Amino acid sequence: MGGSNVALKIIKRLSTGTAPYFSLAILLLLLAYLLSAATQDSSRLNDLFLLIFGVGIACLVLLTTILGRSLFRLYRDFKNKEEGSRLTIRLVSLFVLLILGSTTIVYGFSMHFLHRGINSWFDVKVEQALNDSLELSRAAFGIRMRTLLRQSRLMAGTLNQLPEKEINHSLRELTQLSGALELSIWTMDGQLVISSIENPAIMVPDKPNEAIFRQLEAGEDYIGLDPTDNAILQLRAAVVIPQRSTLAQRRLLHVLFPVDERLSVLGKTVQEAFTDYKELNYLRKPLVTIFTLTLSLIVLLTVLASIWFAIWISRRIVQPLQELSEGTQAVASGNYNQQFTAAGHDEIGFLVRSFNQMTQRLTQARNATQRSHRLLEQQTNYLTTVLGSLSSGVITIDNKNYLRTANVASSDILEINLQQRIESPIAKLANHHHHLQAFTQLLEQQTKHSNNWQQQLELQQQKGQQTLMCHGTSLPNNEGWVVVFDDITTLLQAQRNAAWGEVARRLAHEIKNPLTPIQLSADRLQHKYLPLLPDTESGTLIKLTNTIIQQVEAMKDMVNDFSDYARSPGLELVSSPIGELMREILALYQSNPHHQFTLTTDKDDIKVKIDKNRFRQVLHNLLKNAIEASEEAKIPVNINLTYQAVSQQKGEFLEISISDHGPGIPAEMINTLFEPYITNKAKGTGLGLAIVKKIIEEHGGNVWAKNLKPNGMSIIIQLPLEDKKA
Amino acid sequence: MPASAIVKIIYRIALLALFTTPVMAENFSVQSATINKIGNGFVVNAEMHYPLSARVIEAIENSVPITFSQQLELIKSVPLLGKYWQWKETFWTTELRYELRYHALTQQYVLHSIDTLHRQNFPTLESALNALGQIKNLSLPPEYLVDNENLILNLRTELDLHALPTPMRPGALISSKWQLTSPWVAATWP
Repeated sequence: MGGSNVALKIIKRLSTGTAPYFSLAILLLLLAYLLSAATQDSSRLNDLFLLIFGVGIACLVLLTTILGRSLFRLYRDFKNKEEGSRLTIRLVSLFVLLILGSTTIVYGFSMHFLHRGINSWFDVKVEQALNDSLELSRAAFGIRMRTLLRQSRLMAGTLNQLPEKEINHSLRELTQLSGALELSIWTMDGQLVISSIENPAIMVPDKPNEAIFRQLEAGEDYIGLDPTDNAILQLRAAVVIPQRSTLAQRRLLHVLFPVDERLSVLGKTVQEAFTDYKELNYLRKPLVTIFTLTLSLIVLLTVLASIWFAIWISRRIVQPLQELSEGTQAVASGNYNQQFTAAGHDEIGFLVRSFNQMTQRLTQARNATQRSHRLLEQQTNYLTTVLGSLSSGVITIDNKNYLRTANVASSDILEINLQQRIESPIAKLANHHHHLQAFTQLLEQQTKHSNNWQQQLELQQQKGQQTLMCHGTSLPNNEGWVVVFDDITTLLQAQRNAAWGEVARRLAHEIKNPLTPIQLSADRLQHKYLPLLPDTESGTLIKLTNTIIQQVEAMKDMVNDFSDYARSPGLELVSSPIGELMREILALYQSNPHHQFTLTTDKDDIKVKIDKNRFRQVLHNLLKNAIEASEEAKIPVNINLTYQAVSQQKGEFLEISISDHGPGIPAEMINTLFEPYITNKAKGTGLGLAIVKKIIEEHGGNVWAKNLKPNGMSIIIQLPLEDKKA
Repeated sequence: MPASAIVKIIYRIALLALFTTPVMAENFSVQSATINKIGNGFVVNAEMHYPLSARVIEAIENSVPITFSQQLELIKSVPLLGKYWQWKETFWTTELRYELRYHALTQQYVLHSIDTLHRQNFPTLESALNALGQIKNLSLPPEYLVDNENLILNLRTELDLHALPTPMRPGALISSKWQLTSPWVAATWP
């Protein structure tokens, strides 16, 4: 395990960084050296050529695989449109073009020179000359050979004449006479008969070989030139010795003649030159093949390694640019935390350092902006909170009378959701909400002038008249207006109520006290002076005193009413079913057959917190009012009562309406109907509806009147429901 | 040399490196081998057949010397599991090497024994090959033949390709036309 780990580490170390490229380069150089050494003629690596070549091919395959993988990765990156892949491909293509171009030229020229170099060793003329010299040598030897053959035949004829006993002696003589090196007689089946050798050191004669025997047996004499061990030439002749009788054994004479030393040396030179030339010529083709193969292998390896190196170096060049590109994109999308390690001191390193500086500055700038933005936001929140907690409505409008901001109170006061109308013209508010027409008109008029303004405004709301106090202040740089308005309706109402309360208290105090003595005095006047007066006059007295008493009584009633109005005892709120209460009160009125009442209700009775006694007074006042209105108009009394729960923006309400079919209320009175001393009836104090309003407001509710179509009017009461089902 | 030729050569090299050389031409062969007892010693007589391929003949005609090698080995075979599994020990080998070349001037084929430096000239190639193929009365080392039971004498002959001129060697080593080695043949005992 440990060993394999170490091996893995070494492989990892060798396959990362620049190590594989340099080791590859060294390996290639070594391989190239070995290949060139193996093609040398006298090298020990000669026999290893095939092995080295095989290693080269293996390297080629390995390199091709690695290169293929690199190229595939490059292609995949390009297809996935990864950063920097286009530039890498462009660089690699450029490198590959350069490598292929230069290598092809070098390879082409190398091949050309190789072929020309090897071919230049050979020449037709030289070849012809060599052939001719060989032929010449052969011719020169041929003359001598023919002479010697004839001489041998003569010797054979001589030997034939001699008796068997003298042959040995004659042979020695013949050797000396002929100048031969060796003379021997052989039987045709290869047995030595006798021999004579010039050189005493040689004991055994040279035996002619099988081919010569066969040739002689075919009846043909043999003459030939023989090279010997030390490359000296000899002439060998073999002739059949003519038979003396047909029964005699066939024999042959074998003669070895020396060749003239000078001729022999010349012949040897010609032979060697011819042989060398012919061999070289024959070896030309394999030599070219081997050199071509070696050169091609080295070139291919170099090209592949160079391309691999080109890819590596392209990636190395592009990597910082790729990082920069990604960094720039990140900066563009708002991520300024981009810092790269600057590689080297070249222009790219400078670029990286500049980029780092830029992102640092950008980060600083962004932080400053964020700080100021947060500050601004805090201030805005502060202002919004302040404005939101104001009970006054605050709106801003721009120069073109477009609504810019509105606080919560403004929406409540105007009973319209202004938040939805922001960035829309003020004039459009009145399109859907007619009651705001006066408001918008006021704004449009006032914003034409540049002065600050203040104006009270009456709005016709559904629940009656609303009084607003508006202040307009122009914004700095004439950018628009800020309009502050308060709903002062309640304030005015309270002021009026206070005034009427004071009046009522004074009336009660100042008028009620003398009324009883007046009444008592009138009564005593009648009793005391009636008996004194004649009958004709007594009628008048009674009539006058009664009038005083009745009017004083009426005045008392009126003063009591005022007293009631002024009085405001604490409410005793009890949760009571409203339906039951209404039926109870209606029961009191149903004794009159001419009066008709209808009560339209929800299915369930609704409980509401009220002071029962005070609320009875409310219903009594309203019913009385309605009956009187109908009676005055001489129309049958027909009164509808309804109550129902309604859900509004501000919460749940109980809505009670009491409607008659009378003549209704004149339009100019509808806003002041509930104020004291406002009445359209002949009799009545005008306090009934004022008291109703007072009680309802004490309950936290609201009351208003509206005319019905085609005739009649309706009084509507709204009381807040705390919890509907309680 | 055109690129297609280079590709062709590389392809051939790859192909031949992958597969052992297929038998295409007729190979050398040991026709007969017999051991004879002469006195106390043993001699071997053998006849070998050398059908040269055209490529080899072409080389000879072009004055390239060709080296032939005749190999003999004595093997002691000890049967361990009958005839199915035998322990074989080679304890003697010898090699006879001959160089054959054409002598253009004399138009003779010169057969040169590298071991004995003996030279023979032949007017024809066939006669030279015939002479080459004859092993006559080659004495075997007597020290190994005392107990000749289970002894096997194997013979074979081949071309010594490593003796070829350098440029021819790689081509010859992978070419089937140069792979003419005969199979081992066991000599018969008297």
